[in-house]
Amino acid sequence: MKIMSKISIGFVSATLLLVGCGETPSASVAPTVAPQANTEDYNGLHVIDENELGYRKSSLYAEGKKVEVPEVQYSKAAPGTSNKIQRAYQDAPPMIPHDTEGMLVITKDNNQCLQCHRPEVAEMVGATPIPKSHFLNMRPVNKIVNNKLVKGVDNLKNQISVKKTTKLYEGRFNCVQCHAPQATNVKLITENKFQPQYLSDDGAFRSHWDEQVDKSLDTVGKDSSVTQDDIANKNSEAGESVFKKH
Amino acid sequence: MSLSRREFLKSSAAASAAAAMGMSIPADLEAKASEAEHGWRWDKAACRFCGTGCGIMMATKDGKIVAVKGDPAAPVNRGLNCIKGYFNAKIMYGADRLTKPLLRVNNHGEFDKKGHFAPVSWERAFDEMEFNIRKALKHGGPEAVGVFASGQYTIMEGYAAQKMMKAGFRSNAIDPNARHCMASAVVGFYQTFGIDEPSGCYDDIELTDTVVSWGSNMAEMHPILWSRVTDRKLSNPDKVKVISIQTYTHRTSDLADTEIIFTPNTDLAMWNYIAREIVMRDAKEKIIDWDFIKKHIVFAAGPVNIGYGMRRKGEKSLKPEYDSGAAGKYSAKEMEIVNKEMTTIVSDTEAPALKPYGYKAGDTMKHTGGTLGHWEISFAEYKKSLEPYTLDYVAKICKGNPDESLESFKAKLQELANLYIEKERKVVSFWTMGMNQHTRGTWDNTLAYNVHFMLNKQARPGSGAFSLTGQPSACGTAREVGTFTHRLPADLMVKVPAHRKIAEKKWMIPEGTLNGVGKQHIMAIHRGIEDGLIKFAWVNVCNPYQDSASASHWIKAAREMDNFIVTSDGYPGISAKVSDLILPTAMIYEKWGAYGNAERRTQHWRQQVLPVGDSMSDTWQWVELSKRFTVDDLWGEYAPSGPRKKALPDVRKAAYALGYTGSTTMYDILFANKIAKSYKLDQEDPIQKGYDNSECYGDSRNVVGSDGKVFKGYGFFIHKYLFEEYAAFGRGHGHDLAPFDMYHKVRGLKWPVVNGKETPWRFNVNFDPYAAKAAKGTDDEFAFYGKIAKALKQGNLTHVTNKKKKPLPNKAKIFARPYMDPPEKPDAEYDTWLATGRVLEHWHSGTMTMRVPELYRAVPEALCYMHPEDAKKKGLKQGKLAWVESRRGRVKARVETRGRNRPPRGLVFVPWFDERVFINKVCLDATCPMSKQTDYKKCAVKIYSA
Repeated sequence: MKIMSKISIGFVSATLLLVGCGETPSASVAPTVAPQANTEDYNGLHVIDENELGYRKSSLYAEGKKVEVPEVQYSKAAPGTSNKIQRAYQDAPPMIPHDTEGMLVITKDNNQCLQCHRPEVAEMVGATPIPKSHFLNMRPVNKIVNNKLVKGVDNLKNQISVKKTTKLYEGRFNCVQCHAPQATNVKLITENKFQPQYLSDDGAFRSHWDEQVDKSLDTVGKDSSVTQDDIANKNSEAGESVFKKH
Repeated sequence: MSLSRREFLKSSAAASAAAAMGMSIPADLEAKASEAEHGWRWDKAACRFCGTGCGIMMATKDGKIVAVKGDPAAPVNRGLNCIKGYFNAKIMYGADRLTKPLLRVNNHGEFDKKGHFAPVSWERAFDEMEFNIRKALKHGGPEAVGVFASGQYTIMEGYAAQKMMKAGFRSNAIDPNARHCMASAVVGFYQTFGIDEPSGCYDDIELTDTVVSWGSNMAEMHPILWSRVTDRKLSNPDKVKVISIQTYTHRTSDLADTEIIFTPNTDLAMWNYIAREIVMRDAKEKIIDWDFIKKHIVFAAGPVNIGYGMRRKGEKSLKPEYDSGAAGKYSAKEMEIVNKEMTTIVSDTEAPALKPYGYKAGDTMKHTGGTLGHWEISFAEYKKSLEPYTLDYVAKICKGNPDESLESFKAKLQELANLYIEKERKVVSFWTMGMNQHTRGTWDNTLAYNVHFMLNKQARPGSGAFSLTGQPSACGTAREVGTFTHRLPADLMVKVPAHRKIAEKKWMIPEGTLNGVGKQHIMAIHRGIEDGLIKFAWVNVCNPYQDSASASHWIKAAREMDNFIVTSDGYPGISAKVSDLILPTAMIYEKWGAYGNAERRTQHWRQQVLPVGDSMSDTWQWVELSKRFTVDDLWGEYAPSGPRKKALPDVRKAAYALGYTGSTTMYDILFANKIAKSYKLDQEDPIQKGYDNSECYGDSRNVVGSDGKVFKGYGFFIHKYLFEEYAAFGRGHGHDLAPFDMYHKVRGLKWPVVNGKETPWRFNVNFDPYAAKAAKGTDDEFAFYGKIAKALKQGNLTHVTNKKKKPLPNKAKIFARPYMDPPEKPDAEYDTWLATGRVLEHWHSGTMTMRVPELYRAVPEALCYMHPEDAKKKGLKQGKLAWVESRRGRVKARVETRGRNRPPRGLVFVPWFDERVFINKVCLDATCPMSKQTDYKKCAVKIYSA
């Protein structure tokens, strides 16, 4: 509950900032670096003390009492009892809302995350099920045959390979590579103006990426395949080898 | 969803390709609500962060980034990213983005070094830069103008900076932060192969049987490569072995079959132990591939008394010397270590290893400054160098966990050697900062190749010693473009007259313009500022005032001496804070760009959104600066200065002969010449169509530019011009890059790209057209065709015996190199090793990632990771503040005894991303004397309650 309220406050204030200083760049030398009331009078000139820049607010030149890093607390809520954290954007990896004490050395023999997040049991224990995208192996098999590399797909055509797996794709075994616990008591050093857009009603809490893996990959439109003309690079005078005449 | 077991292939034109191949797409995988319907535009890009070089897909709507996903078509990561990769979406949106140039002023609005920052126009910013550059040139010539460059520059930015610095200002005082991350790897490549960058590629991971991680926490620092390793390991757990060799336990060890915890710096001895096993057991077990060795390898050695890359006696800031032991700007405490640059006493630890080189314990070793010099030796001499590395000696000096038994440690060393030696077993050795940030980093790199070469397990699919790189374009920009003090593009060197001539011709500048002395590496730039030689320094895409060891010296020199420091950045980091002028700078997806990753893969992206505020790209800033200087301003004679002992000639007359006048600007010559303008802007071009290009067209922000007028764009495609001209240096020269347009159609290609085909394994005739060409007419399987240092004098382990140089075409080298102590080790007072590094969630100095809420909340501060027993003994409590103090300074950090990093007793780890925990004040600026790369992995500290 606590996490949710903090996060929604974060979003509200980010929105306010956008409204407050959106279109006028001069005003957005950023709220967090606004000159302090005690800055000397520079004939009315708008000035900023070096200590107001960045998130270290004390002198760089001395390490004294003022340099303080926060005492950090992560969620103490047992798995299954915490509120889910909204995904940062559509299909973004969700962050971990529960206590992870004692769970987070993931070894090849012991991955505790899987116990609750396996799709078969997740709903039952109130965990976010591992999504379908994690049961796809998209790495084509490249082989060496007669001292030649035989690629599983043609990279010059941006081909992809999608193979469904019956268990979690092993490349996703290290869960904390993408999912991290979140401190519950720290104040952000600055707001972030990123605005998510969710494409489905449940987009803030559920991944639909498996439905999209092969979409929008063709980034240069119908001309995207490499042609002999591309390779020949005939109209590039600057690109002619400096060794041609040597 | 029913599970189909059938693998299917789809091109990006999915349905038609599938149909043509006779395959069907399962209905449940067909796209449902297409994002296009929501007005999202997807485009490919490269990740901003580490050297892995993942491909991402990025969605924009209404000029803002709205989502990022892993690119299924990108061969590096195939649809998967790490946590930082996903949050590329948010890195440009921190609320305190810099939006206006900021200048330190007095209350009349004039520049004042002691003043506060006030917003100024771009025109005023360039006026101040121009004025201060002219002042610096007058004071100390080109050597007085310095640039802190970057392995995070786009290729075009790095090339533009290098061109203006070297051709325009005639200054080689440009060196990247990449110096701190892979210079030792580069010198290792040059010395061993005669050409930079790895022979292998990431496909080695799927093709190997054994992954050995040497001092690298790949699980956090190269997460996607580790994901590939994990997939390989778990899909064949009995056959595939993973060995994690570290100074403390971390996530990489969590997957490993075996973890070896060693004492910092002793990896040198472990490599030599493996080599000794190979050599000594060869007679009986026939381990060495002698046919390969005879054809392709020579043995070599060089001096060992080369110092530790610290300041040397006689340098300005070390004068005068005081009775207290202090010297110049350095305290007596600091000088206890700095003095070792000149002499050391051979310790009991290193004495056995140094015996073949003529030293014994207690001897005084007089050091001379680092040299790259080396000479050929016989195999017998090499074998002699290995004799000391018995299991007993190596285990004794290497064992890094006091709570492990010697027997257990010995068994692991034997297992390690046996895995390498096992006949049919393929082995990949990976490393990054552990072996590079090392006062013998160059040696350590070459020792890795020794082992792989003797086993003929190098440059083969699934086998090889593979130097990973840290930064996204340490390879692409720093190394390949050559934004180093001593380099030109594509492994050309400023000191070689023929190479300068090639560059001068390509750049259409007079012969003799380029400065042949390239010695101002990044620590030399910091030290040069402290010595008063450098008066103008510009920080590009890096944070040198946070990331350099002995940091207090450099921030003091910046703030208190007569100089002018400029920082271009997206956010105000420590470097911005200590600067005199701060320039708001376009970030990664606010510009067209290209990066090159650790497997030689070059990847391009298009500008996705407009920059924030009045930010403009580094390319634009360099090009605008070039408009301020003319032929007559820059190309006259310069008296000797700094490391340059000869005058630089006046080349103005030669410039006039080329058709330039005294008032022709560097802009006209270097950036907007006739050839440059042949690269047209064209909205019919499928590559350019529909995409912003703020440098070339200007944009809807109507930024008021360097001349006080609204910037309307250069009117030609400058990024394409810069890339193509740069590529000209490597084409036909073993570094071939594909054409600009081709990169926009594919997910990167590994150079050399010859006739549109990339190269997976270099030096192997089956896979590398250059090797095939070099080996033509023979049945050789390899050709090590690199050109650098390929003729050697002859000698033994201690000296040269025959000065006549013998050529070694197509050969690589195995080096005899001993274990030596680092300059600072724990003692009675400073009783603990300090290692620094990164964590998964934060990138480098944290300027971007600390501003992403999810990444910040994941790891909100830099902790001091330590063993619970040590904490208890020192009276420290979990989560409470402690001082971490060295001879150079102290910082406060919270103690963490239960975290992801689990050091043995006697060592602590503190990451450097947090500007509040300014750990580089504590670190020592000792470097590998050959590569000049700082050793951030070891110094001595004491820790006490705060």
